[in-house]
Amino acid sequence: MIERISRRSVLKGTGALATAAALAAPRVARAQKKSIRVLLVADPFYYALSGVAAQFTEETGIAVNIESLSYDALNARLVTSFLGGHPDADVISVDNIWLGQYLESKWVKPFNDLIKADKDINFEDFIPGVIYSINEWRGQIGTMPVAPYGMGVMYREDSIAAAGIKVPNDGSWTWDQYFDMVKKLDGQSFSGHKMSGTVVAGQQPAPIVHMYTQLAASMGARWFKHFPEAPWDFTPTIDSKENIAAITLFRDLYKNSPPESVNYNWFDAGMRFAKGDIGMFYWWTPYFYLCRKDGYMSGKTSVVADKMGIVPLPHSSHPQVISIGGWGLGLPANSIAQDEAWTFIKWATSAKTQKAMALYDKYGYQFSDFARRSLYGDPELLKIYPYLPMQLTALETGNGKISRPGVPTYTTLESIYGLNLNKVLTGALSPEECAKQTTQYWINVLKGNFMVPFRRPSYDDTLEATKALITSLA
Amino acid sequence: MSLRLDRPLPVSARLAWRAALLSRRRRLFPYLLIAPSVVLLLLLIAFPLFFALKNSFYFWNMQMSPMPLGFVGLGNYGMALHGPVFMVSLMNTLVLTVSGTALEVVFGLAIALLLCRELPGMSPARAILIMPTTIAPIVVGFLFRYMYQPDGGIIPWLLSVAHIPVPARGLLGSPITALPSIVLADMWEWTPFCAIIFYAALLGVPHEVIEAARLDGASAWATLRHVRLPLIARPLAFVTMLRFMQLFNTFDLVLVLTRGGPGSSTFTLGYMLYQQGLVDFNIGLASAMTWIIVLIVNIFITLFVFFVFKDAG
Repeated sequence: MIERISRRSVLKGTGALATAAALAAPRVARAQKKSIRVLLVADPFYYALSGVAAQFTEETGIAVNIESLSYDALNARLVTSFLGGHPDADVISVDNIWLGQYLESKWVKPFNDLIKADKDINFEDFIPGVIYSINEWRGQIGTMPVAPYGMGVMYREDSIAAAGIKVPNDGSWTWDQYFDMVKKLDGQSFSGHKMSGTVVAGQQPAPIVHMYTQLAASMGARWFKHFPEAPWDFTPTIDSKENIAAITLFRDLYKNSPPESVNYNWFDAGMRFAKGDIGMFYWWTPYFYLCRKDGYMSGKTSVVADKMGIVPLPHSSHPQVISIGGWGLGLPANSIAQDEAWTFIKWATSAKTQKAMALYDKYGYQFSDFARRSLYGDPELLKIYPYLPMQLTALETGNGKISRPGVPTYTTLESIYGLNLNKVLTGALSPEECAKQTTQYWINVLKGNFMVPFRRPSYDDTLEATKALITSLA
Repeated sequence: MSLRLDRPLPVSARLAWRAALLSRRRRLFPYLLIAPSVVLLLLLIAFPLFFALKNSFYFWNMQMSPMPLGFVGLGNYGMALHGPVFMVSLMNTLVLTVSGTALEVVFGLAIALLLCRELPGMSPARAILIMPTTIAPIVVGFLFRYMYQPDGGIIPWLLSVAHIPVPARGLLGSPITALPSIVLADMWEWTPFCAIIFYAALLGVPHEVIEAARLDGASAWATLRHVRLPLIARPLAFVTMLRFMQLFNTFDLVLVLTRGGPGSSTFTLGYMLYQQGLVDFNIGLASAMTWIIVLIVNIFITLFVFFVFKDAG
C-alpha cells in the first residue's frame, strides 16, 4: 500500500525532526567535544585549579569550562538548578554544611561505588578526619575533598618578641594564656602602628559563627544534646556553662580588636592581620598563605609575609576540638557528562594535581589545602609552605561535625546564632542573654522542622565508622 | 451563541438586531484588545503571588526536603511574626523607607528647581545627574563600603574634617549610624532620578502661570507652594510611591554594606526575605513573609493614593 504523503505531514515531520535536533544538539555537540562545566566557589582553590586545568584537557582530551561564584550565590544557583531539574554544571564545589541536604535530596551522586571500583584513587591517602568532616553523610561519600580547612594561630613574630612574649609552637598553651597575650599586645606601639591585640570576624551570620564556634568547641561547648553519635537528639545545649564562658571570652577578645571588626567578614579579618597592626589571631588555614599577600590574589607581598608565626590552637581543660571546614567536589545527579565529570573529580583531587595547584605561582603560591596525607611530607611543598606539619596535625585531630554540625536547618540555626553573637559584641546582649535567646529560637526552629523530637533513624556518625568506611572502599 | 430563525424577520427588526449585535461587538472589542495584557499580567503577577500564597500554608523547607512536607495552616505566618528579627526588621524598613523617600523627594525637588534656573554649567550637570541611577545597587554598595571604611574612607575623613564625631566601630559598625549610612547610599543613587523626573514635570508648568503669580506679588516660596507643586502633584505622587515601594524592598545595599548588622540594626524585611528564601531555603516561611510584605506595602500605598488623590475626582 502506498500512502500519499501530504505537504502538511512533510512539514510536520520536518518540524519534529528540527525540534528534536535542536534539543539534542548541545548534548550531541558536548558528547562529541567531550567537555564539562565546573562550577566552583571563588575560594583560593578555584584560582589554583583553573590555573592547571589545561593539563587535564591535555591528558584526557576533555575540555573544561570553570566558573566561579560567591558562597551564597553558588548555593542559590545550585539549588535552583536541582529543583528545575536542568543540569547547571557537571562538577560542583559543595560546602561541608550543604552535603547532608544535597545527598538526602539525591541532588548529588554518592561516590561509594565509584571509589570502590577505582583502585587508582588511593583513597586511604586522604586524612580520615577530613573525609569524616566534609565529605561523608550517613555513611555515604558525597564529595571528594578538594580544599579542606583547619584552624591555627597566626601572630606577628617581631611585635610579639618586642612585647617579651613567647608563643609555644607545640600547642601547649591555654585560651586563658592566649587571652593574656592578646591583652598585653593590645594598645602597644610598634613599627609606627598602634597595635590591636587580636582581630575577630564579627560579621553575622557565617563569619562570626565560623570564628566563634572554634573557640566554643575547644572550650567544651556543644550544639546539641547528642550528635553526631547515635541516637541523635537535637535538643540545644548552647546555654551550657562552657558555652557562656566561651561567649564571654570571645567578647573579651573583641574588646582587644579593632572596633570596626564587629563588621568584618572572613577576608576582612585576615587582611587586617596582613596589614601589620594585629598581634595575633586564629583563623582558617588558607589564611596561612593568604596573609602573606596584601590582597586577594593580588600577588603583592604583605608587610607580615616574612614575620608570620604559625602555631597550633590553644586548648582548655576539655579535649581539644579543631574545626574542619572546606570544600569537596560533587557530581550533580542531573549531569549529562557523568563519566567525564568523575574523571575530572579524580584528577582534581589526585596528589599530582593538588601538588601542581600548590606550585601554581601566578598569584604567588596561594594553595596548600591538601586532603592527602602524602603531600604534607613533600620536600618541595614544605619549602614553600613550611607550616604544613602543623596544618596536618590540625586536620588529623579536627572534627567538623562537633564545631559546626552540618545538620538540616544548619543555615537557619547559624543565622540566629550569628545575629545574637554579633549582638554580644555590640553590647546589646550579655553572654547569658545570648545563650538563652538563641536556645529559645533554636528550639522553635528545631521543633518547627521536626528535629525535636527527632523521630527519623539516627546514624552513628563517628570518626571510627568513617575510618572503617575508608578501609572498605579502598 | 447562535440564533435560529424559522422565518425571515422584517427589515426593521433585522436592522435593529444587527445594530444590537454591532453595539455588543463594540462593547466587547476593548476587552478583546486588553485580553492579552490581562492574561500576561495574570501569568506574570497573579500566578507567582498565588503560588506563594499556596506555599505559605505548607511546610516546605528545602534543607529538610526538596518537596513540601505537609499543610501547616497559618504556622508559617506565626513563625514569621514571632521570629527573632521580624518586628525589628519591620521597624527598620519603615524608618529606612519613610526617611529615604522623604529625603530623596525633597532633595530631588530642590535639585530640579535648581536645574530650572538659568545658571552656568547646568547642561553638563543635567547629563551627569543621571549617572548614579544607572549604576547597579550592588556596585553602589561596594562603592560606599570603601567610602565608609574607618581607616581611609572618604566619608569618615570628611566628617572628621567637619569635626563631626565618627563612631570607633566605623559608620557601618555602630547601631546608631549603620541605618542612616544605608539611607545615604540609597539617596546618592536615587535622588538624581527624582530630580530628573521633577525637572521634566517642572518644565511642563506653563511659564505664563508663574509669570502671573509673580505679577500678583507672590514670593518664590508662595509660587512653589501654591502654583508649581499643585501643577506637578501627579509626578510627585508617582515618584513618591515608586521610591516608597522600592525602598520597602531594599536588600541589596544591606547585603553588601552590613548584612543586617551590627546586631539587627539594619535588618530589613527585604533582607530577611532573601535570607529565608535564598540562604535558608525555607520556601514556606519565605512565602508567608512575601505575603505579609505585600499586604503591608499595599495598605500604605492604598492610604497614600486615597489621601493624595481624594480631590482628583
